[in-house]
Amino acid sequence: MSDDHLVCVPETTWVPSEKLKFINRYVVERKDTCISCGLCETLCPYGVHRRMEGHVKILPPYHRLCIGPSCASNDFYCVSHCPTSSLSVRNSETFSALGDVRWTTDMILATWQMAETGESLPLDHPGNVGSSGGGFDRLNFKRGPVPDTIDYSEFDMVIDLDRRGGERRRISIPVYGGGMSYGSVSLHTMVARAKACRAWGTYTCTGEGGYPKELIPYRENVVTQIATGLFGVREETIKRAPMVEFKYAQGAKPGLGGHLLGDKNTPLVAKMREAVPNTSLFSPFPFHSVYSVEDHKKHLDWIASINPKALLSVKVSTPNDVEMVAIGSYYAGAHIVHLDGGYGGTGAAPEIAKKNIAMPIEYAIPKVHRFLSDEGVRENVTLIASGGIRTALDVAKAIALGADGVVIGTAELVALGCVRCGNCESGRGCPRGIASTDPVLYLQLDTDWGAQRIINLLSAWRKQWCHLLASLGMSGISELRGRTDLLRYVGGKEVFS
Amino acid sequence: MTFDALRILEGRSWMRECRPRLSRSQMEAEGGCGVVGLAASVALPGRHILEPLMQMHNRGNGKGGGIAAVGLEPVQMRVPREVLEDHYLVQVAYLDPSFRRELEAEFIDDRYEVHTRYQVEESEDPLVLAALPVRPPQVWRYFCRARPERLDAFIVERGLQGLDRRRAEDEFVYQTSFAINHQYYVRKDMRAFVMSHGRNMIIMKVVGYAEDVIHFYRLEEVTAHVWIGHQRYPTKGKVWHPGGAHPFMGLDEGLVHNGDFANYHSVNEYLMQKNVVPLFLTDTEVSVLLFDLLNRTYGYPLEYIIEALAPTTERDFYNLPEEKKPVYQAIQRTHVHASPDGPWFFIIARNCFYEDRYQLIGITDTSMLRPQVFALVEGEVQIGLIASEKQAIDAALRSISHDHPSVPRQADAYWNARGGSHTDGGAFIFSLSKKGGGMELECTNKFSIPIHLELGYDRSEDLVLAEPLAPNGCDRSVEGRADEVFQRFLSTLPTIDATAFQKAAALQRLLCATVARARRSEADLREMLRFLTQILDRHYSSGGLRRSRINDKAMEAVNLILRSVPRTPGNGMRFCLVDRDDRSSIPIGIGEGGVLVVDCRGFPMEGPEGPSFAICDAYEKGWRHVVLLDAHGQRFFGCGLGPGSQGMKIEVFGTPGDYLASGLSGAEVEVHGNAQDQLGQIMAAGKLIVHGDVGQTFMYGAKGGEAYVLGNAAGRPLINAVGTPRVVINGTCLDYLAESFMAGDPLNGGGFVILNGITFDAQGGVVDLSIPYPGGNLFSLASGGAIYIRDPKRMLTEDQLNGGRFGRMTDSDWETILPYLRENERLFGISVEDCLLRVGGRALPPRKVYRKIHVSSARSAGEDSLDDEI
Repeated sequence: MSDDHLVCVPETTWVPSEKLKFINRYVVERKDTCISCGLCETLCPYGVHRRMEGHVKILPPYHRLCIGPSCASNDFYCVSHCPTSSLSVRNSETFSALGDVRWTTDMILATWQMAETGESLPLDHPGNVGSSGGGFDRLNFKRGPVPDTIDYSEFDMVIDLDRRGGERRRISIPVYGGGMSYGSVSLHTMVARAKACRAWGTYTCTGEGGYPKELIPYRENVVTQIATGLFGVREETIKRAPMVEFKYAQGAKPGLGGHLLGDKNTPLVAKMREAVPNTSLFSPFPFHSVYSVEDHKKHLDWIASINPKALLSVKVSTPNDVEMVAIGSYYAGAHIVHLDGGYGGTGAAPEIAKKNIAMPIEYAIPKVHRFLSDEGVRENVTLIASGGIRTALDVAKAIALGADGVVIGTAELVALGCVRCGNCESGRGCPRGIASTDPVLYLQLDTDWGAQRIINLLSAWRKQWCHLLASLGMSGISELRGRTDLLRYVGGKEVFS
Repeated sequence: MTFDALRILEGRSWMRECRPRLSRSQMEAEGGCGVVGLAASVALPGRHILEPLMQMHNRGNGKGGGIAAVGLEPVQMRVPREVLEDHYLVQVAYLDPSFRRELEAEFIDDRYEVHTRYQVEESEDPLVLAALPVRPPQVWRYFCRARPERLDAFIVERGLQGLDRRRAEDEFVYQTSFAINHQYYVRKDMRAFVMSHGRNMIIMKVVGYAEDVIHFYRLEEVTAHVWIGHQRYPTKGKVWHPGGAHPFMGLDEGLVHNGDFANYHSVNEYLMQKNVVPLFLTDTEVSVLLFDLLNRTYGYPLEYIIEALAPTTERDFYNLPEEKKPVYQAIQRTHVHASPDGPWFFIIARNCFYEDRYQLIGITDTSMLRPQVFALVEGEVQIGLIASEKQAIDAALRSISHDHPSVPRQADAYWNARGGSHTDGGAFIFSLSKKGGGMELECTNKFSIPIHLELGYDRSEDLVLAEPLAPNGCDRSVEGRADEVFQRFLSTLPTIDATAFQKAAALQRLLCATVARARRSEADLREMLRFLTQILDRHYSSGGLRRSRINDKAMEAVNLILRSVPRTPGNGMRFCLVDRDDRSSIPIGIGEGGVLVVDCRGFPMEGPEGPSFAICDAYEKGWRHVVLLDAHGQRFFGCGLGPGSQGMKIEVFGTPGDYLASGLSGAEVEVHGNAQDQLGQIMAAGKLIVHGDVGQTFMYGAKGGEAYVLGNAAGRPLINAVGTPRVVINGTCLDYLAESFMAGDPLNGGGFVILNGITFDAQGGVVDLSIPYPGGNLFSLASGGAIYIRDPKRMLTEDQLNGGRFGRMTDSDWETILPYLRENERLFGISVEDCLLRVGGRALPPRKVYRKIHVSSARSAGEDSLDDEI
C-alpha cells in the first residue's frame, strides 16, 4: 500500500442497476379521463407534470419530484384543480414497505444512488441518518457550512493499522470490510468486495467459512478470520493473510457462535468447511482453547508463530467491561481492537439477540477510547468499530467518538442491491443472490458490476467526509478522532421523521 | 461442631456496614494466571518454587505475583517452635510505613499480646529493585495471641459464648484483620493491609512477577513444607497495589486461582447475606472467603466443601454411591447459588491446626475449563505437585533434585482431575502429617480414597542412580542393533540375580557405556538414540528399579549424547547441534539423513526468539529431521511450516509446551513423553505421535492427519473437528470427546477416533481401564465421523451419547480401522491380537470388542438398533 493518500482513489463510473428500479416516495396517477388541458403543468412548481414541446399529450407524471399529499395545503395543488378529477397523489406502497427504522427507505435509496453514480449526497440529506431514535441517529456534528468548491485531493483519509512500531500498514480510507463467510454470502459477493477493496487499497475479510481460492488473487487485501468453529482455518490461509482477525464474539449475537443452517450448507460450502453437507453448522460460543486472558495471549502468539508478519485484530462484542477486554487484548499483542456493537448482523443473526444483548457501539467506543488513553496505550493500538455503521456520517461519528476507523458489512451488501428483507438464513438464501450459496441465484450478480458499485459507494463516502472535514476546518480524518466536543446530541422525538 | 454457625455469622453483622461502595468499574478485572503448588515431606527452600514460576512467566504479565508458605522453620521465623505453631502469624503490609505506629497502637497492641515482632527482610539488590514496577510494601510480622480480656469481651459482644475458646480466638483474629483492612485499605486509601494472619504460614505478594516476591523478601532460603505460587495476569493496565495479587487468605489458608467466575456478583451477594464482606474486589478473595465460610463457620468436611464448590452433576451424580446422593443433593440445593460458575482452578495451601497437619489442595471446576496437572513423587522425599502446566512440575523437580538426589527429575505419576466427577471428584489433596521425627505425605482424592503408587523399588539403589552419568566404560550388552540392546536390557532388568545395589550399578554402567558407544560414530549414535527412546517410550517391568528414575537416566543419556554432537556438520557426521546462542546461524541442511538438534535449554517460551522459529528456519534451510532436546515448556513446535511439509520430522525430548503441531500440514511430530494443551489445533495433514498423555482441546478444529496417543487426553479432544482426522487414543479422555464432530462418513474417507480404554500395569502389561470412557458427553451434537470404542464389557450406555448412537461394527468398519491399529502396534507395541482383541484371556472377534458410535441419522443396511451384545 502506498504512502501517497491519493494513489488509491479509484475512478468512479456510472453503474446502472437493471434490477433495482428507482423507488419513489409518492405515486402520482393520471387517469384516462385526462383531456391534456395542461393546467397541471402550469400549476406544479416542481415539474411533476410536463408536456413535450409540440406534443398534445402530457407526459406521464415524474413521481420523483412530487412532494406528496401534503401539497394539498398549497393553492397550486394539482389534484384539487384538475377539471376532470383525473389526478391523484398517494404514498408509494413499495416505498413504505422498504426499509426499517435503522435502514430507512431514504438511506437504502441514497446508498443505491451513491453506488450507482459515485456522487456524494449533501450532508443534510435524509439518507444520511436513520430514524431509530437513538445512537448515531441522535448525533449530529456542530459544523460550519460546506464550502462551494472543494478539492478532494487535499484531504487525507489514510489511517495506519499498525501502531505497534512494525511495518506501516496504511489503508487509504478509514474503512475496511467485515467478515462474511463463504456460505453466509455468495462467492460472487466475496469477490466483488475483494475487487473493490483492492481498488481502494483497503481490506476485506473472509469470515469464518474458509478461504475460497477465488480470493487468492486479492490476497494482499484479504483478511482471514479465525472464529470459534475454526472452519476452513489452515496454516496456508493464515500465512497468506496480511491480517488475521480473531472473532471472539459478534456484536449482533454475543454469547452465540456463528451458525449456518442446513439449507445453506450446500455441498460446495460443506467442502470448503470440510464438514458434512446439509447439516446445520454451529460454531461454539467460545474458543474452547481460550478461557482466560493468558490463553488469549497464547492464542495470538500461536498465530504470530505461523505468520509473524500478520497484523492481529481481535474482534469482540461490547459487554459492560468492554474496556477491560480491549486492554487485555492490547497487552496480549493485538494490533487492532475491533469492537463490534449490537446493531449489525445479517438476517441470520437471531432477532432476539440482535440489538438486545451487546452495548450500543456509541457507548462502547468512547468508553474504550478514554480508558486506553488513561492507560497510556491509546497511540499503540488501533481501535476499530463495527456493528451497524451504515453511512459516511456514521463512520465520521464513530471516529469522532474515538475510533480510528470502522468495519462495514451491510452497507456493502446494500450497494450490491440488498433490500434488507432479512431472509438471509432461510431456504436457499437471498433472492438477489447476495447471501446465497445457490448458483442459480448468485450468478445474477456480476463481480465487476458489484465491485464498481462498492467502489462508487466508497467514493461518494470519501467525498462526504471531505465535505464534513471542510465544514469543520480540518483536512485529515485522523484529526477528528475523539472529538466528541464536535458532536451534538439531537433531542426531541421527531427530529428526523 | 455443635456450635451454631449462625451465631458466628450474626456476630459479624457489623461488617456489613463496611461494604465498599464502589462502582462496578472499580472492580479488579481478573484475568487468567499461572499457578503452582507443592507439598513435601521435607521442608523445601523457596528457591524451588522459583523455577516453575519463572518458567510460567508467560502466564502472568508482571502485574501481580505471590506465594504462600505453610509449615515454616522456627529459627528462620525467629521464634521458638511452640510460638510458631501456636501463635497467629499476623503480617501487615505498610504501603505507607508512616502509618505503622498508628495501626499498631489501634489494633495490634490493643488487641494482641505480641510475642515477637520484626520487619521482614528486604533485598537491596539493585537488579531486584529494578525489576519491580512498584516498590513492594514494608511487611511486619507479629507473632501474637489475643489479649485474654479482649477475647472475653469479644466473646460476649459477638455472642460467641459456648464456642470453643480457641475457635473464638480464630474469629477474633479474622474480625480484627477485617477491621484493619477496612480501616487502612478501604477507608484510608490503601495505606496498609493484612497480608496473612494464619498460624505457621505466610502469604507474600507484590506488583511484579512471582519470582520478584521471592527475591525481594529474600525467601530463597526460607523453608516450608507447602508452597504455592501465582503469576497474575490482570487485564487492567496500571496496577500499583499488591492487595489484588494472589494468594488470598482465609484464616489458616492461602488460595490461588486461575480463571474467572461468570457469577462473581451472585457469589458476592451470597456472601453478603452471610455477613461475609469482601474488601478487595476480586473473585479470588471471594473464593477463599467462601472456602472459609464452609470450612470454619459451617464446619464442613473437605469433601462437602469441594462438593459445594464444584457440584457433581448429570451422569456422574447418578453414578455416586447411594449413601452420598442425599447429602450431595442437600449440599447442592443449599449452596448452588454460591457455586462458582465458569472456568476456575484453585490451589489451596493450608495449615489444619486442629488436626495437626498441612495440606495442599487442587480443585478444578466441574467443566474442567482450566489446565491442571497433578503429580506425585514417592520415596525418601515425598512430594505432591499441582500446576497449570506439566513443565512447571518438571522445573520444580529439576530444582529440588539438586538438593535431594533421591528425587528424580520426573514425577512417579502425572494425572488430571476430572471435575465434578464420581471417579475422583475433581480434586486431590496432599496431606502432610507428623510421623516419627518427620512428615509423611498422603495423597487422596475428594472422596478420601488414597492414591498409592506401587513403586516397589529399593531406595539405596535409587540413590546410586542419582549419580550423574559419565561417558565412559564399555559394556558388551550395548553392542548390536538398538532393538537387540533393548531386548537385552528388558530381559536383564527383572532377572539380575544380584543385590539391588549391584543392579543399579549395572544400569548405571550400561547407560555410561551407551553414551560412550554413541560417541564412536554416527551409526552408533543412531542405534543408541533408538535404544534410549525405547527405554523412554515403552512400558515394561522395571524389575525393582524405579521407573521414573530409569526415564530420568535415559533422558540424561539422551541429553549427554546429543549435546556432544558437533556444531557444524561434516566429517561424515550428519548430526548438528544448535543452541540459543547460535540459533540465528543455523547451517544449510545436508539433505538425506541430516539431523539438526536444537538444544531448548535457554530458549524463551515463545516469540521470534523461540525454538518454533528455529524449526521453521531449519526447515527452510533444508533440514528434514529436527530433534528438540530438553524442551521445558516451549510452545508452538511444528507451527508455521506451512502446507506440504511432508517428509519433515520433528522429534521432541522433554516437555513441549502448548499448541504443539497446531496447524500441522504434512510433517510428522513425535513426542517422547507427555505433551501439554492445545495440540494439533486445525491440523490438516501429517502425523502426530505422543508417547504419553495429551492435554486440553486436543485437535480442536482439526481437518485431517493421523494422531496416535499412548495415554489419555484431557477435556474436549477433537471438538469441532472436520474432514478426515484419524486418531487413536489408547487411554481415555476426561470428557466431551468429539463434540460437534463433523468428519464425514468414516467408511468413505471421513474421520474417526479409536478409543482403546487401556492402561499399563507395573509389569508393562496392558490392562483395561475400569470404564473405557467415564464422561457423560461423548460424540455430542456430532454430524459426521465415528468413534470406535473398545468396550468388550459393554459398559458404555446410551445416556453418555447425547445425540450419537451405537451402530453395528461391520467388517468394513474393522477393515477401515485396522491399519491404524497396526500402526499403533508398531509405534507403541500394543498388539492387536494379543492385547486389544484379547479379553479375559479369550480372543474375541472385533465386533465383540469394539463398538461404533456414529451420528443418529446414520443407519447401515440391515441394522436394527444396537450393536452386538456380548
